[in-house]
Amino acid sequence: MAPPAAAYERRVLVSAAQHCYLRVRLELPDGAARPGAPQLKQLVVAALRELHGEVGAALPVDVLAYEEKSLCAVLRVISGGLVKLWSALTLQGFYQNRRCAFRVLQVGGGLPSITAVLCVCLAPFFPFLPFLVSNDLT
Amino acid sequence: MAGFADLNVPHGADRKAVQSLLEAAAHLGYSAVALNHIIDFKEKKQEIAKPVSPSELFPSLPIVQGTSKRLKVLTRLTLVVSDPSHCNLLRSTSTNIRLYDIIAVFPKTEKLFHIACTTLDVDLVCINVTEKLPFYFRRPPVNMAIDRGIYFELLYTPAIKDSTMRRYTISNAISLMQICKGKNIVISSAAERPLELRGPYDVANLGLLFGLSEGEAKAAVSTNCRATMLHGETRKSACGVVYTVKKLHKIEEEETVPACKKAKTQA
Repeated sequence: MAPPAAAYERRVLVSAAQHCYLRVRLELPDGAARPGAPQLKQLVVAALRELHGEVGAALPVDVLAYEEKSLCAVLRVISGGLVKLWSALTLQGFYQNRRCAFRVLQVGGGLPSITAVLCVCLAPFFPFLPFLVSNDLT
Repeated sequence: MAGFADLNVPHGADRKAVQSLLEAAAHLGYSAVALNHIIDFKEKKQEIAKPVSPSELFPSLPIVQGTSKRLKVLTRLTLVVSDPSHCNLLRSTSTNIRLYDIIAVFPKTEKLFHIACTTLDVDLVCINVTEKLPFYFRRPPVNMAIDRGIYFELLYTPAIKDSTMRRYTISNAISLMQICKGKNIVISSAAERPLELRGPYDVANLGLLFGLSEGEAKAAVSTNCRATMLHGETRKSACGVVYTVKKLHKIEEEETVPACKKAKTQA
């Protein structure tokens, strides 16, 4: 009963995994300032705070990868916080007083299902970033 | 599975803006979009014009990403009613209203909400999300609307624009969910710019925030929208129902005339 594979497929897997991974892209109008990696994390936390308050802002969210050229990022959040994070990103409409939109491209329970590009340039910003090549694939 | 649909895209005068909205909707994965004309009766008398067919306005419709079909564009009319006399337009059968694919009504008072749910011939009842509801939902009209196949529409674009509207959207949605238990809900945007549109799965996630279950939230963007479009089609085509009842005949009687002809002559 499997449907034929389409060229563009979105799959949402909410399994018993510890973390959920989201691949998002920030759409900005032409000429708007593009955020760097720390600004993106700040924007995500601000969106959570606006919608879900201090409890939402305290949700453990990590930016695992961020490409400034295409404004694509891979976020990680604990499985229970997926709905909160996703809804906060959806309802975030402004970045620095310019309209913006978060497009959630992929959501998955494991990192292999999200094709990620781990930027080496993230290391100086997040020196505490755990290496997740082996740990989180349980 | 029913394709995703966004049933509220305001039809502005600028054709290029609407074209860019349609392209954004097709890129995000929506299979059908309804161009909404809003008529507010509080302003001076407005003429309800005949809907221009979308194929004339937009000669080349974009292809939905992920399929090979073109975006389906429907016409929709929303009537903002704040007085019972405004509903008379809906009851008359000779106006241009009948030509629209989907008809929605936006009641402003409790009495009008009751009338819209029980007697008016519409497909959608819009729920106000930009201000605190002046009335509480009651179970009898909502249950009658669900039986009649009328869907309640919630908008999500005001929640993106302003934080006060966000609170009103969520509180009005939650009070509606308490009464209708998540049935017959349609979530749509009222996006004026492509950046205000959100993808169908994002909107389904917003349904979870309003208190719907996962299946209901996804249905709010796909199955319920398709049901609304079919409701509009049947409203356009059928004026009444004729059904035949089989008459029971005695076995000894010899029938020379077929049963249907017999019934006609007898009547």
